[in-house]
Amino acid sequence: MNPPFPDPGLGLPGPATMPEPGPGVAAAPRVEVAGLRAFYGDVEALAGVDLEVPANAVTALIGASGSGKTTLLRCINRLHEEVPRARLEGRVTVDGIDVYGPAIELPAVRRVVGMVFQRPTPFPSMSVYDNVAVGLRLAGARGPAVRETVVAALEVVGLWDELGHRLGVPAVSLSGGQQQRLCIARALAPDPAVILMDEPCSALDPIATLRIERLIGELTANHTIVLVTHNMQQAARVADTIVFMMDGRVIEHSPALELFTRPRDVRTERYVTGNFG
Amino acid sequence: MPDTELHPLGRFAPPPGMRRRRWLDRGFTAGATAAALLAVAVLALVIASVLINGAPALSWRFLTHNPHTSAFGVNTGGIANAIVGSAILIALASGMAVPAGILVGVFSTQFAGSRTARSIRFALDVLNGVPTIVTGVFVFGVLVIGGRQSGWAGAVALAIVELPIVGRSAEEVLTLVPERLREAGLALGLRRWRIIVSIILPTAVGGLLTGAVLAVARVAGETAPLIFTTSFAGPGLSVNPGGSLANLPVTIFDLSESPSPTSHAQAWAAALVLILGVLILSLIARVLHDRSVAALRR
Repeated sequence: MNPPFPDPGLGLPGPATMPEPGPGVAAAPRVEVAGLRAFYGDVEALAGVDLEVPANAVTALIGASGSGKTTLLRCINRLHEEVPRARLEGRVTVDGIDVYGPAIELPAVRRVVGMVFQRPTPFPSMSVYDNVAVGLRLAGARGPAVRETVVAALEVVGLWDELGHRLGVPAVSLSGGQQQRLCIARALAPDPAVILMDEPCSALDPIATLRIERLIGELTANHTIVLVTHNMQQAARVADTIVFMMDGRVIEHSPALELFTRPRDVRTERYVTGNFG
Repeated sequence: MPDTELHPLGRFAPPPGMRRRRWLDRGFTAGATAAALLAVAVLALVIASVLINGAPALSWRFLTHNPHTSAFGVNTGGIANAIVGSAILIALASGMAVPAGILVGVFSTQFAGSRTARSIRFALDVLNGVPTIVTGVFVFGVLVIGGRQSGWAGAVALAIVELPIVGRSAEEVLTLVPERLREAGLALGLRRWRIIVSIILPTAVGGLLTGAVLAVARVAGETAPLIFTTSFAGPGLSVNPGGSLANLPVTIFDLSESPSPTSHAQAWAAALVLILGVLILSLIARVLHDRSVAALRR
């Protein structure tokens, strides 16, 4: 594993993911997608996507079911290729480095690009602590550094205050909202530069949703976030820019306010006003 | 259509053929209930007859002493060597079959494509259907002819019987582990083997153990594979699988073949020991199963 993704523990070179991001804003990488086509067998899920995801911002992907939002997300951390008979063409770069480049190892990609899923997925056989530590241990971290990072990640998601003294309880004993925040902490622990979120609040109640939305806003200080959501209010609340997708294509990519108030494409307007079809 | 206008219940008039439908319903309910009762009754009969016939000859001495043949050709000792021998045979067989079976399940659920997985499943089902006497003859031909009977040969024969049971149950349990856990592991950058060892197997451990225990319970009473492979054991206690090991099924067989009524009573008592062992194993499997299902549902 040389040049592009040099150190599996630290991710990208340069200022992207310095181990100590410091108090202020650390520059997270931009994600660029060019000519991306993705297939499941013979079905084309993405029909040529070009997209620039700005750094240190929340980019929301909206669109009807089947429009390719989740597939696009899963192409960024190369999870798409784990599906049997799935394949893709095109480029995805993180700070200019092609994540599909020949020298790139899969675990390196996934440590630079973290992911949070639709339903909370704590590992049932593990405690709260182990759930957050598992990614770190894999990256070779040992000793007190693991505990410090776990605690820091749990602090970020607000779980440290709630169960700081009970890190040994099974992860599945937490509430749904706590489980999802645990999964965010687990994704944060290996210090990814980009975080993908696939409808992270769709299984949660409004209060838990609000907590996570607030958290997403805070995370942009150090991370670039791509969020799939079906909830347009949520997109409006948390996103800096919004991408409207339809039939595997990007129809419009605009600043959040603009997309809702002055959509450039008539299809976007129809979708956001609920007048589709 | 009944004339709803004329019926006093109007649109609530009973639909046509109501009497017939009610009788059909009762008939099916009665048939299914009777079948269920029959199944339970068969088990109860088996256990009751073994209990009634076996209890008189069952004693502490019977359990803890080795066979001792009196001047009249009757065993005045016990079956301790067979109990120990059976335990050793089962432990050796499970030591081979359980890890192998779990690996088969891991391969077919985690690595194989759906066609390969189907072929493996079919192969396991066929292996499971092979009569155990054939398994016994096979092992006899491969391991015993030209050498001699041994505990190892018996354990291999039992392992062949166990393997498809463990493999199939492992496969079924492992497919229950949600796909999203595997994806979550991949998204953390974990390698496939790491996900299997650290996430999938621990999540399914209860179900895997259930399958293993059921397989053990199943082979505990297997006689045919042992008659060919480890049936000429001396009366002494042996723990060396290099030679023939006494064991419960063959002991029951031998005792029941003997002309003496005392031996028959002892055969029943040995059967009682065996059936109690299997019962206890089944209960353990049941508890493990309930726990693992509860854990997977969370």
